[in-house]
Amino acid sequence: MGQIDLLKLETIVGKNNVKADPADLYIYGSDSSVHTAMPWAVVRPENTEHVQGIVKYANSNKIPIITRGGGSGMCGQAVPVNGGIILDMKQMNRILEINMPDVYCRVEPGVVDDDLNMALKPYGVFFPPTPASSRIATIGGEIGNNASGVRSVKYGATRDAVLGMKVVMANGEVADFGAFTRVEASGYQMHKLIIGSEGTLGIVVEATLKFVPIPEFRCLGIANFDSIKDAGKAIGEIMASGANPSMLELVDSIAIKAVNKTMDLGLAEVDAALLYEADGMVVEAVDYEINKMQRICKKHNGKDLKASYDAAERAKIFMGRKKLFPALSKYDENLASTSLADDMAVPYSKMADMAAKIHEVAKKNDIVMTAYGHCGSGCMHTKILMDTNRKDQWASAKKAITEIYEYVRSVNGTTSAEHGIGISKAESFKIEKANSLDTLIKIKQALDPNNILNPGKMMQAAEDWVTATDLRYSIKS
Amino acid sequence: MENKPMKTDNLKKWDKTLASCIRCGYCFEHCPLSKYTNWESDNPRAKIIMAHGLLSGELEPSTYIAEKLFSCFFCKRCEAACSSGVELTQIFLDVRRDLLEAGFDVPGTTSITNDNCAACLICVKECPHEARSILNNVVVTDSVKCQSCGRCVEVCPAKAAHLGLDYGTSKNELNIEVSDYLKNNKNSKAIIFACNWSYFPDLQSSIIETSDNKNYKIIVNMCGGRLEKVTLLEPFLHNAQGVLVACCPDGDCEHNGSEAAKSNVLYIKNLLQSINMDPELIKLVQIKHGDKTGFQAEIDIFMEKILGNK
Ligand SMILES: Cc1cc2nc3c(=O)[nH]c(=O)nc-3n(C[C@H](O)[C@H](O)[C@H](O)COP(=O)(O)OP(=O)(O)OC[C@H]3O[C@@H](n4cnc5c(N)ncnc54)[C@H](O)[C@@H]3O)c2cc1C
Repeated sequence: MGQIDLLKLETIVGKNNVKADPADLYIYGSDSSVHTAMPWAVVRPENTEHVQGIVKYANSNKIPIITRGGGSGMCGQAVPVNGGIILDMKQMNRILEINMPDVYCRVEPGVVDDDLNMALKPYGVFFPPTPASSRIATIGGEIGNNASGVRSVKYGATRDAVLGMKVVMANGEVADFGAFTRVEASGYQMHKLIIGSEGTLGIVVEATLKFVPIPEFRCLGIANFDSIKDAGKAIGEIMASGANPSMLELVDSIAIKAVNKTMDLGLAEVDAALLYEADGMVVEAVDYEINKMQRICKKHNGKDLKASYDAAERAKIFMGRKKLFPALSKYDENLASTSLADDMAVPYSKMADMAAKIHEVAKKNDIVMTAYGHCGSGCMHTKILMDTNRKDQWASAKKAITEIYEYVRSVNGTTSAEHGIGISKAESFKIEKANSLDTLIKIKQALDPNNILNPGKMMQAAEDWVTATDLRYSIKS
Repeated sequence: MENKPMKTDNLKKWDKTLASCIRCGYCFEHCPLSKYTNWESDNPRAKIIMAHGLLSGELEPSTYIAEKLFSCFFCKRCEAACSSGVELTQIFLDVRRDLLEAGFDVPGTTSITNDNCAACLICVKECPHEARSILNNVVVTDSVKCQSCGRCVEVCPAKAAHLGLDYGTSKNELNIEVSDYLKNNKNSKAIIFACNWSYFPDLQSSIIETSDNKNYKIIVNMCGGRLEKVTLLEPFLHNAQGVLVACCPDGDCEHNGSEAAKSNVLYIKNLLQSINMDPELIKLVQIKHGDKTGFQAEIDIFMEKILGNK
């Protein structure tokens, strides 16, 4: 364990807000990724002064600080690679203001996304980036990862929804970035830089977010395809046609099989399915969008088309997508579903090829992979199903991931669409950003000269993610 | 009993399941323990991580770990929310078995009996989980079988049974929560006691700073039947105008709690009447499992009624 003065931490945040039992350190050492590493202490600040106190102490003693929200990051963003202090932000969980006339709200970073949306609902508005993990993801974590979700195709990602923020910088001083207004023309737009920086540039202690009206009408439809290539063509044409879907999701044959195998939902076992949604305040406008998307699906051999405005019916249509995670976990009792190569983005015209590539690489490397995602945003997700006890499976996963990201880069795609870089996607990120890496490193050095804020992530991550930290599985042979 | 190195005879069968947990954290959304402490270490995911640590040998067993693993109210909301279909509470029970075998016998949330016990055995008969028995004239609890439902606490005439750790569910803590809230929110009109089994609000733990649009507070307790009469009275002592008590429909409560709740609410109604107060200021509603819409409708009707009464 590194040099840390627990008493000092206790004087800053109070005895009740510090933990250092080996069990606590072990628990806080992992998130939703494959990685694990032990911190030296866990501290739970209750206010900005607490955060400042801890940061000043850590900065003068060169102790790493890893800011953590819900710990649902999939690439090891909140894993303390070099030890240090975990700053658990969940106690800073107040919704400070809902300002309807100026259409913004102010929140502390530990506010959970679903809680915020619950508080906004009586006002008829919602905060739209909403990742699938919205029931646990905090606003701080969403800012850290620039999270997005199924509806980002229409409403944008976190970066599009944050107007400004209060940030504790690496020297412990507070800086206000952004504005309370819709527009802010000049300057470095530092809040946009903090978004997606994975806790490496500053600690967000307050955020000003914009929201949008909850639509009166939502209509969700499905189309099945015998060929994923056709589904890919439909995606490209829908997005190029000027249609404005509020959701456009792709699910591949493996995903459909997994859901049918484990839940018996009776989904048609086709090569791919597209889920498309439109929303709005005027039913005719929603109808127009849905009809347009259905016409395009039909043109590309989409079949079994149906769509509904009814909430129960929509839930039924979405069930296959919703049950995908548990289905993958139960796909084969010897295979665990791991968050590896979990996301990427490619141009629309390459979505189908990307899915085909994923299947081909999985087969070649003796692992199971599925392809699904928010294809309206060009975002593809996958999971690697493998026997996590077997060393050779980790070697295969590593090979597969390298091949997949080589392909992503070759078609002008990008390493992360929404889940971030952290540790496990750093290798591809560094190759992709080769000629801007130096600039990124200089920005980090300027804002955090002692490298205390979440070190060892993104451009600082180790070359080999397998050995960068311990893995959280029992790897036996 | 001396602590022995931990064998994992019970836990080892869960090796693959522990790997299949994707650690998404959906399980802590509704966990009453996590909500109460707001520490990651008290949520179900943490228990799974500790189980993995004990099985892999990366964690040494300790009293601290045992205390966490023996703490659970078995509402099983973690299992309902689990995105990987992990049978969390079964795993917790197997870790308990192994920890007990290794000599870590700590109460956590399991019920314990103090010296006031007259060995009347009412609790033994009433325990729905057959967790209580008599051993050498002393009532003991089987901490693997005990599901911390609190039935023994409720029926014990000598007040000798209580939960080791109560995570805010004890009479004293509920009373403090009620009085603190009413003292700090002068415009508040009512306290709504929501049974953890019949209903649980969606919110995790974020706090709305200016909750001026709400004039009541929902306080989640572990079972309608475990609300003692003094707790039902507490809001009235702090100028609340009404108390709504939610419990499960008849026959749904595993702990006979609905009957106890009905009888306690009736007692308070009679008490209010005897001092010339409107007995309708306290009301019991029976809510179907997870029926949030129905519960909200009941709250709205009740609030309208008591505000109309004013
Ligand atoms: C089942 C599942 C589904 C998911 N679905 C989606 C999805 O649809 N879309 C998506 O984008 N992501 C998704 N994710 C990934 C993840 O949940 C989100 O990115 C989420 O926003 C992370 O929030 P968190 O609070 O858990 O952050 P954490 O994991 O705790 O932290 C994430 C990063 O943010 C930093 N951070 C946290 N708080 C602060 C702060 N106050 N100031 C500065 N930095 C901070 C951390 O240091 C870390 O680098 C999913 C994850 C899971 C497990």
